[in-house]
Amino acid sequence: MSARTVLIVDDDPFIRKLIATTLRNVGDLDLRQAADGEEALELAAAHRPVLVFLDVEMPRLDGIGACRRLRATSDATIVMLTAAGEELEAQARDAGADLFLSKPFSPLDLLRLVDGLPGVQAS
Amino acid sequence: MGARESELSEITTLRADLERHRRDALEQERQLERYASDLADTYKQERARAQELQDSYVATVRALANAVEARDAYTGKHAERVAAYGLEIARAMGLHLAEEAQAEFGFLLHDVGKVAIPDSILFKPDPLDVAERALMQRHTIIGWEILRHVSFLGEAKAVVRSHHERWDGAGYPDGLAGEAIPVAARVFAVADTLDALTTERPYRPRMGIGPARAIIAAESGTQFDPAVVAAFRGMDDAVLERIGREHAS
Repeated sequence: MSARTVLIVDDDPFIRKLIATTLRNVGDLDLRQAADGEEALELAAAHRPVLVFLDVEMPRLDGIGACRRLRATSDATIVMLTAAGEELEAQARDAGADLFLSKPFSPLDLLRLVDGLPGVQAS
Repeated sequence: MGARESELSEITTLRADLERHRRDALEQERQLERYASDLADTYKQERARAQELQDSYVATVRALANAVEARDAYTGKHAERVAAYGLEIARAMGLHLAEEAQAEFGFLLHDVGKVAIPDSILFKPDPLDVAERALMQRHTIIGWEILRHVSFLGEAKAVVRSHHERWDGAGYPDGLAGEAIPVAARVFAVADTLDALTTERPYRPRMGIGPARAIIAAESGTQFDPAVVAAFRGMDDAVLERIGREHAS
C-alpha cells in the first residue's frame, strides 16, 4: 500500500518539525509541511492528504479559512491545533473541522489519534 | 513621513516582532515540557508493565513446575531446592546466569517432560528394563518439545533438554561432552545430585552435606564439570543447609 499523506500546517517551524518528528516512525506516512493556509491548500491539491493538522493563527490565510476551503474539495480528517483559551471550536466545526488538539498538545494523544485512523497503523 | 517618524515606525515593528518571538518561545517551551511529561509517564508505565510481565512469567513457570511435582509425592519441593542450589553455585562461579531468570526457569522446569511418562514406569519400584529406561530418558526431549516455542524461556529450554548430560559424554539425550553441554545444565547436574543425596528417598535415608560433598567431588571430571565442582567445594555448609531448610518439603 502506498504511503498516506499527512499535512502539517503551522507558522512555527519548530512545532511543524516536532509533529513531523513524532510521526516519523508511525506507519507508512508521507509527511508534508506548510507554513500558512495558502501553502496548505497548494500542497493538499497536489498530494491529497488523508489527515491535516491545522494551526488556527497563521499569516496570509488562517486555519479557519483554510479549513473551510479545504473541506470544499477534500474529505481528509482535519485536526485543528488550538491554543489554550481559544474559543474557536464552534467556528472551526462550522468550517468543517473534525477534531481538536489543544496546545501544548500531548504527543501520546497525537500518536493515538494517528494510530486510530483507517489505513494507518503504528509499525 | 519624516526620518523620526520612520524610525518610530521601525521601532514599533521591531517591538511587535520581539513580542511575537517571545510568545513563540513560550509556546515552544510549554510544548517541550508536555513532551517531557508524557515521556516520564510512558517510562513509568513501561517499567510497571515490564515488572508485571516478569511476575507473570515467574508465576506461570512455578505453576508448571508445581504441576510436575504434584505427581511425585517423594520429591516434594525438589525443583525449588535445585533452583536455589543451582543459582548459588552459579553465583559462586561468577556466572552472569545467576542474575538471569532463564536459568532459574530451566532449573524449575527440568523435569516437565515427565508429564508424558506413565505412572507404571515413573513409580516402578523395581529396576527399569531397557525399553522402559529408553522411554524414561525421553523426558528430556519431551520437556524440550513442550517448551520449544515459548520464547521467553530462552536458555531454560537448553537446561530442560541437557540436564542429564555428563561431562564425560556418557549422559543423554544427545551424549554431549565437556563445554558442549550448556553451562546452566552443568551447574544443574551438581545441584540435582546434591539435593537427591541430602533428601530422604523411599529406598534410602537422607545424607549429610559432608558425605554428599565427597560423592560429588569423586565424580568431578566424569559426571560433573570440574569447574562447577570446584566452585561447589568452596561454598559454605551454612549456605547449603539454609537452602535445604527454607525449601524443605
